[in-house]
Amino acid sequence: MALKQISSNKCFGGLQKVFEHDSVELNCKMKFAVYLPPKAETGKCPALYWLSGLTGTEQNFISKSGYHQAASEHGLVVIAPDTSPCGCNIKGEDESWDFGTGAGFYVDATEDPWKTNYRMYSYITEELPKLINANFPVDPQRTSIFGHSMGGHGALICALKNPGKYKSVSAFAPICNPLLCRWGKKAFSGYLGTDQSKWKAYDATHLVKSYPGSQLDILIDQGKDDQFLLDGQLLPDNFIAACTEKKIPVVFRLQDGYDHSYYFIATFITDHIRHHAKYLNA
Amino acid sequence: MEEESGEELGLDRSTPKDFHFYHMDLYDSEDRLQLFPEENTRRRKEVVQAERANESTGAGDGKAQRDLQEEVEELVHLYGLEDDHELGDEFVENMPRMGVSEYPPYGMKRRDPAREQRDWRLSGEATEAEDLGFGGWGSAGQCQDLREVYRYTHGRASEEYECYVIPEEEDEEEAADVFCVTCKTPIRAFQKVFDEHKEHEVIPLNEALESAKDEIHKNMYKLEKQIIDMENFANHLEEVFITVEENFGKQEQNFESHYNEILETLAQKYEEKIQALGEKKKEKVEALYEQLVSCGENLDTCKELMETIEEMCHEEKVDFIKDAVAMADRLGKFLKTKTDVEISTQPDFEDQTLDFSDVEQLMGSINTIPAPSAPVINPQTPNSATGSSVRVCWSLYSDDTVESYQLSYRPVQDSSPGKDQAAPSPPIIKTKEIRSCEEAVLICWESGNLNPVDSYTVELTQAESPEASGVTESVVGIPTCESLVQLQPGQSYVIYVRALNTGGPSTRSEPATVHTIGSYFRLNKDTCHPWLTISQDGLTILRSERSTPTKEPPPSDTHFTRCVAVMGNLIPVRGHHYWEVEVDEHLDYTVGVAFEDVPKQEDLGANCLSWCMRHTFASSRHKYEFLHNRTTPDIRITVPPKKIGILLDYENSKLSFFNVELSQHLYTFSCQPHKFVHPCFSLEKPGCLKIRNGISMPKHVTFY
Repeated sequence: MALKQISSNKCFGGLQKVFEHDSVELNCKMKFAVYLPPKAETGKCPALYWLSGLTGTEQNFISKSGYHQAASEHGLVVIAPDTSPCGCNIKGEDESWDFGTGAGFYVDATEDPWKTNYRMYSYITEELPKLINANFPVDPQRTSIFGHSMGGHGALICALKNPGKYKSVSAFAPICNPLLCRWGKKAFSGYLGTDQSKWKAYDATHLVKSYPGSQLDILIDQGKDDQFLLDGQLLPDNFIAACTEKKIPVVFRLQDGYDHSYYFIATFITDHIRHHAKYLNA
Repeated sequence: MEEESGEELGLDRSTPKDFHFYHMDLYDSEDRLQLFPEENTRRRKEVVQAERANESTGAGDGKAQRDLQEEVEELVHLYGLEDDHELGDEFVENMPRMGVSEYPPYGMKRRDPAREQRDWRLSGEATEAEDLGFGGWGSAGQCQDLREVYRYTHGRASEEYECYVIPEEEDEEEAADVFCVTCKTPIRAFQKVFDEHKEHEVIPLNEALESAKDEIHKNMYKLEKQIIDMENFANHLEEVFITVEENFGKQEQNFESHYNEILETLAQKYEEKIQALGEKKKEKVEALYEQLVSCGENLDTCKELMETIEEMCHEEKVDFIKDAVAMADRLGKFLKTKTDVEISTQPDFEDQTLDFSDVEQLMGSINTIPAPSAPVINPQTPNSATGSSVRVCWSLYSDDTVESYQLSYRPVQDSSPGKDQAAPSPPIIKTKEIRSCEEAVLICWESGNLNPVDSYTVELTQAESPEASGVTESVVGIPTCESLVQLQPGQSYVIYVRALNTGGPSTRSEPATVHTIGSYFRLNKDTCHPWLTISQDGLTILRSERSTPTKEPPPSDTHFTRCVAVMGNLIPVRGHHYWEVEVDEHLDYTVGVAFEDVPKQEDLGANCLSWCMRHTFASSRHKYEFLHNRTTPDIRITVPPKKIGILLDYENSKLSFFNVELSQHLYTFSCQPHKFVHPCFSLEKPGCLKIRNGISMPKHVTFY
């Protein structure tokens, strides 16, 4: 697959690049951002995937979160893809900000007209890693994943559905239980239809209940003043209860005064990167 | 100096170094749009003022240079202008494009106002523009402007612009295309053949341009450098100035004190001399007075005799003879006694020789630097000596000027080897109270002697070579029964202590072993709450099931009374310390660190002298709090830790807690321990806590 470099900027001794390619899963051109730390010049580095939230693209994480210093210090390659297929000209994809463009919800859609293009789950777990492994100095055995809001949901489900694939997972204000919140219901009914059993396969709280697999260490930061938390869109309590039940290690931090924005992410991004580095560089 | 515009006038008329600029206002023309001239010149003036203001940080020394700079900038601008003009078709290709970019620092600043000047001039002439496509200026439009200006400059367009022309060369209407080096003026090629330029050396105009530009460039660099140099110099001068003030102050003080000393000495001498003279005078006067008195007596006697004799002469013969004989005896006797008519004292005083030698000496010493006072040697600090070296520290008076010190020493022998004193007995190391970390060990011991001991010596050997009798390190002169010794990490040491008095050193104490892996401490029984028991090895805390008495123990300063807690004795050394605590899932416990003087009547974490993690298990729910000053962040942990790792990092002011089995980081406090802290543990319900220490940090902890 041919990669076209869109931009490259030096940052903290490494390079922040943006590429475009033709995606097979999504049947359109997709952009993604990749940060190559200084260590990547001399050897393979672990890979850390970031999934952005609703309305995000590959740009917001790389410009707003201030993650570069920590990534450079710990020697991690950080990949940030777009949040949904773009330019597919599907009717209705731009009607709302929480469904369609910028709101892929990291599922493989089964309903028309979405099922041809909206296959973000497969893109993130299969196509993109293959592409990255083939084109960049990354160690395919050492991968971790994290994200914000919808991307937090994405990170959790990717990790829970693929035990052992990721060495660690973390999230900022994730949508923990989409089955029970308005966002999730809207997206899943649109992408997956009305059969709720199909929805469970993409719900972190549900997946935990039947998680068989290897040890995970999950770090979650949640702003206490996050309006979506108060609106009941995020539902972390359900997830924590499920994890406690199943003895899945989670450290959940409720951060006083912080909201849902990138200011919140920027404050704690270093802690998260260190969390991943601990496992990726072990 | 006057900032004058009219650049297009002077260029080809006068020598490069010596432009005359004329105010455009002087020349009136109906085609000139009257609106702008002042503005533009003003603007240019403003730009220049701004530049001047920016550059006037120096001490004003560059003023002359700046003026020169102005002229140079004018020149630059003109040359820049000149570059893009069409001097003739043959020069189009030769036009040095770099000409424009060569002058970015100066030229760029000037471009804008200049451009505006051109703009207004151009507004009536836009239609006449040709497109030369000069990329250097960045836009064809600008080139157009320049060309127009150029036309004005050279009066090519029409006679109406003749008024711009300096009277010197009225007939010059064509472009100059060569440069006469001799006259230093551009001329037309044909002129070479005629007139005064016949014999002169001529070079093509663009060559001349190049060389002139180079020269200007060089000069500009030189000027820049000079500005920097001057500024540095000005700063330096300021410093020197301050130093001069200081030195003056010192000298003044010095002189004043000396001078006062001299004056005092002189005054004193004066007093003394005057007093001596006074005494002398008194002596003389008294002596004279005595003489006077005796003289007077003599006189009286004489007079009396005289009178008697006279009386006698008037007596009868018989009486007269009787008295006369007696009188004659008397007289004879009297006259025999010598009358002293010598004046006993001289009226003159001797010349006093005034002795000013000491004053002279004082005056002589005014100019010399006084010798410094003797330094004071600090008393020897413990641990400052080894078997073969000793560290000596001293202090000096700040008023003294000292060039160097001389240190000399000599071994001191006891006058007699403590004849009566026997060497002391060896001390006993308190092995249970040894505290260590990766870099040091704190040992304490009992004196082992009833009599006082002068000092102790600690001897260390690395345990790898126990046979080697060579002591690798010894610390002497320890006054108390404890010592903090620096060690290498990751080693094992065997330690001995000796006592020392005038009778000599004792034999070695029983050895103690220290491993510099991790941090090792024991629990401090003195701090232990009465309801807790500590195991023999000092590492397990037990709160028994026995029904606890309803009354709380009375308050105490040393041991905990409210919180059922105990503290450890951590070595007071900064750096990293790591230890682990084994807990039971259902146990209510608190673990963390606290200052030694944490209030013992309060709960751990309830004040700002302690930081700890508290676990409470109630109604099948685990609650975790990270307490300091009664506040805790809101943290949920899904898997209760069974072994908690605690990392105390003095360097980064952090205290971190980990779930050791999962290598999971739980929480980190940012705390700033201004003194040393100690581990603390408490049990809110019956149960036990097992401490593991003296272990090195697991890898996952190192990330924090």
